[in-house]
Amino acid sequence: TISASGPVDCVDLRSEQRARSFLRERYLRSLIAMVKRDAKFTMYEKVKVDAVFAGSDIDILNFQVEDLETPLGVQKEALIRCPDVISYSFEIDSSL
Amino acid sequence: MNEWCRKKPLEWQGYVNKEVKVTAAEQEYQGWVFTVDPVSANIVLVNFKDGGKASIVAVMGHAVEAVDVLREGDSSMADQLTSLFMPAGAQSYSR
Repeated sequence: TISASGPVDCVDLRSEQRARSFLRERYLRSLIAMVKRDAKFTMYEKVKVDAVFAGSDIDILNFQVEDLETPLGVQKEALIRCPDVISYSFEIDSSL
Repeated sequence: MNEWCRKKPLEWQGYVNKEVKVTAAEQEYQGWVFTVDPVSANIVLVNFKDGGKASIVAVMGHAVEAVDVLREGDSSMADQLTSLFMPAGAQSYSR
């Protein structure tokens, strides 16, 4: 949520928006880098699952994944609810 | 909503390029902060490994209990982090 500020806070608002766009762009780039990669999701109740990351909605409420490895078998397509997730991890090449 | 999620973008930006320890759901995560998503408060940590690999861990903002700064990053670490996810040949036009 973005709170409204008076004209006095104009400079503050501008620097805050600059920080917001800097952080958001980096986050979106990190999501793009994860597409089609194997990701590990650590969830509540000691659940850990592996899947290929496909995408996310803009609010980061759901992750779309492929080949989700569950105890009941592999799900070709699935949505993971982000509130159920504690963390996720993946690997990339850093020698660019 | 926890304390971490209520922080402002400028406060989150203060963690970028620093090495931190994040506590979430009785687990600890360590790494260099690449960014904090201002929408979800998810914090993205990077650990550079031998052999040109980097492991990325993101801790969901809603799960974050504490973030402790361990080390300040220098400019070479900042450059390394910035170039990590940028497409090859990309150039920054804004400051």
